Formats: sequence, C-alpha cells, structure tokens
Amino acid sequence: MNWLGRAAARLVPAERRDWAEALWAEADEVPAGLARLAWRAGGMRLIAREALLVRRAGRSLVFAAAAAWTAWAAWPGPAGNIATAVDRVDVVTVLLVLAGLPLLARWLIGPAVAGPMARLLRAGAYAAVLVLTAAKPSVEQVVNAPAVVARQAATGRGLQPPAFTWFAETVFLLIVAGYVAAILVLTARRPRVAPATLAIGAGAGILLGVVMCTVTPLGLAKDATEPWLAGSAIDPVVALAWILLLGGPLVAGGMAGWRYRGPGSPEQVANARTWQGVAAGFLATGVGALIVTAAGTGAIALMPRASWLLHWLYPGQHLSAAVAYNRELTASSNAAGYFLMLLAFPIIGLIQGTLGSSWALDRGSRDSGSPPAGGGPPAPEPTGDPPGGQASLPAGTRQAPRAAPRQGALNRI
Amino acid sequence: MGSRSDFSAQTLSVLAALCAQPLQWQHGYALARQTGLKSGTLYPILIRLADRGLVEACWQDEPAPGRPRRHLYRLTAGGLATATGALAAAARPPGRAGARARSGRGVAAPAVP
Repeated sequence: MNWLGRAAARLVPAERRDWAEALWAEADEVPAGLARLAWRAGGMRLIAREALLVRRAGRSLVFAAAAAWTAWAAWPGPAGNIATAVDRVDVVTVLLVLAGLPLLARWLIGPAVAGPMARLLRAGAYAAVLVLTAAKPSVEQVVNAPAVVARQAATGRGLQPPAFTWFAETVFLLIVAGYVAAILVLTARRPRVAPATLAIGAGAGILLGVVMCTVTPLGLAKDATEPWLAGSAIDPVVALAWILLLGGPLVAGGMAGWRYRGPGSPEQVANARTWQGVAAGFLATGVGALIVTAAGTGAIALMPRASWLLHWLYPGQHLSAAVAYNRELTASSNAAGYFLMLLAFPIIGLIQGTLGSSWALDRGSRDSGSPPAGGGPPAPEPTGDPPGGQASLPAGTRQAPRAAPRQGALNRI
Repeated sequence: MGSRSDFSAQTLSVLAALCAQPLQWQHGYALARQTGLKSGTLYPILIRLADRGLVEACWQDEPAPGRPRRHLYRLTAGGLATATGALAAAARPPGRAGARARSGRGVAAPAVP
C-alpha cells in the first residue's frame, strides 16, 4: 500500500508533495483495519485535491477540443486559392506553437503563477489566438479569391506576389508566437510578475479592447458603422479609445510599480517596480490588441454566413448581394491593418509602462519605500518561535521547507 | 487577524489542539484524534494554516525503526497569537456564537490553555 501512496504523491505539485507524503507516512501509526483504510482514503482525497490531476486533464481536453475545432474551421478552402495553402500552414504552426510553448516555458521559466489571474490570462490569450486562427482563412480567401486576383491583375492595383503573401504569413506567425510567449513569460513563476500587476494590466487591456470594439466592430474597416452608437455619441468613445491606448498603459504601469511590495535592497525593489510597470504596460495594450483583432477578424469572417450580423453592422442600409459582397471584401482587405495593431500596440504599451513605472519609482522614493499593502508578492513570513523563545527543534528533527504561500488564498480557512 | 470570521469550525478545532501544547511538535494522527477530523479534512486545513504562516512543519530525522519519517506540526509565534485571539473570540459572545452555530459555522472550541 505504501508504494501506491508514494506513487500517488508524485502527482502532487512539488511544493505540496511533502504534505501528501506526510499523510501517507502517518497511516502506519493508525490502527490497522477500517481506521487505517479511512485514513488512507483521506490521503487519496487530499492527493486528488492537490494534484490538480483532474484540472490538468480537463485543460488538456479543452485545448484538444478547441484545437480540433480550429483545424476543422480553418482547413477547408478552394484548391485554386493561395490562401488555402497559407492557412493550412498557419493552423498547423499555430497549434504546434500553442501546444509546445507552454512546455518550453515551463522548462525555462517555471510553471504558471498560482492563482486565477495567470490562468485566466493564459486561457484568454489562447482563446483569442484560436479564434483568430479559425477566422483568418475566411477573411483571406475572400481577399485572394480568383475573381479578385484576376481583377487586380487586370487593373494592376493591389496584386501581391505569392512570395509577399508567404512573407506576410511568416510575420503573422512570428507575431502570434511572440504574443503567446509574452503571456506565458508574464504569467510564469520565475519572472515574478505580481498578481496585482497582471490584474491591472489585463484589466486596462480588456477595457481598451471593449471600447475599441464598441467604436468599430470591424476594427479598421473604413466603411463599418457603429451599430451601438449614433451621431455625436461616437466622438466621446473615440476620445476614450485614444485615452485608453495612450494613457491606459501609463496609468497601469504607474499603478503596478507603485503597488509593488517585495523584499530586497532599494535597488532590487526599484528594478522590480520598473519590471512590474513594463509588464503592466505591455498587458494593457497587448491584451487590447488581441481582443480587437480576434473580435474584428471573427466578425469579418461571420459576415458572409450571418445576414443578421451584416444588418446589425450596417443598420438601416439596403444590403443587396452585391453591396454585401462589397462590404465583406472591403472589411476583409482592411483586416490586414490588424497586423499593424498587433505590432504597434505592445510597443506603445512598453514605452508608456516604462514611463509609468518611472513615476512610481519617483513616488516610491518620496514615500521612503512604503507603498500600500496588497500589491506584490508577499514578503517572506517570519518563522519565529512561540513566545518565550524556549522552543527549539526537538532532537531528531529537521525543518521542512514550508509550502510556498499561495497568492490570493481565501481569507477564510 | 484572528477574528472569528476568519476560521471555520474545523480549523478552530485544529488551532485549539495545537494551542493546547504550543511548544510541542505534534503529528497528524494525534491531531486527528484530538479534533475528531478525518485525514482528508485535517491535512488541507494544516496546509492552509502553513500557507498563512500560522503553522510550521518539519520532518522527523530519526524515525522509529521500521517506520517511515513523520511530519510534525506546531504553531508559529504569529500562529499562536492568531489562534489565541480566534479561540477567545469564538468562546466569547454567546449571542454571536449562537448565531454562528445556527448557521453551521459555529464551534464549541476547546478552551485555550
């Protein structure tokens, strides 16, 4: 029975394994019979609870299902369309990147930070990339349709050589891999991005993404209207989008740097605050760009399939088949602008986040290094003896490494 | 810190058991016997108490012959203060304690020595 317990304890994450082994070892002290059996049953319950085995298996299943759906959606296409081959390479590469990068990241920079924020960020980024990968073929097959290419060849305008298409695809794949890698790095344990930083950055990014989708659901398509807004109501929202794009990462970087509380020398703390600011700035624009790109590309891909969407996007317009196709073609052509957004937004975020964190450093030094509580990873807990100080380790014992504190643990235990 | 709302009834019973001999290292089975908790309930509580820095743990270096090493537990200084406060609060106002008991969260915590 003991070998079974020891084997099962291996399923528990390293920082919790001591506890599973402790419970199992203790079983030898319990009277044999039902009592020992009940004790071991409790051990299995603890292992199941701590092992996250079910959660890991569930995550893998969800990813496999989402990957299968993406491949199913992205694979079909007419043989004569260059986009078909491009998109098949695209979907295979993206799925390999999504499956392989977490393994590489875990090996290089450790597992994900404990707590829901890192998991949500990773899941959200994966969902956005999968939606983008599934939607992109529809958009590109419209732009590269033989009729469109023939017209471009005849007029000599807008025709792109196949080499350029493959080059653009390579750039796109590098951008996607860069986003996935960045999210994995920021949510991994070793880079020490505080959960508060993740929350601030992601919150600002979600706000930016939602506001930009509200302004123009088709992103950069010139002919799209704003179905939610009419007339002058659009102007404040456009202003808000600009404020969020330029000011969001600045504020997020400043807040993340200012709230950071961690151990170390003043120089180490200053460096850590700068890092928190840069991370929050990147997230504030990177998450926004991912949301806008995935939602916009998804909406464009749905246009030929969902007439309700067309009527909703262009309210009050008579959409004959020719007009609808024209709208779809225009939106699909303009979707390339998302490349620029995916590239430019994080750069803006990094610059603004750095500026924000320098404000935090200035503020922190004026506050003599006492930012408010609740921001960064907790400082090491004191491990003092009970009052009186008489206590010491009994003979024959050694101090076990304490289980790593869980970020965001529930108050009530 | 240490207010009654911070801890469940089972956690309070574990704190009470650890408080009874704050300087002694205790093992899991002894705690289970004192509290009446099953291992599947006791150990998650100990883990969370350790996560919060209220309990410290160590491995026995010289186990009894033929026996595996045992894991030992006791309250930290902060844990002792927190436990004392929480147990005192749980035992104090009968009105609130009654309400807690009715809501299923109350505890008849053992007296703090």
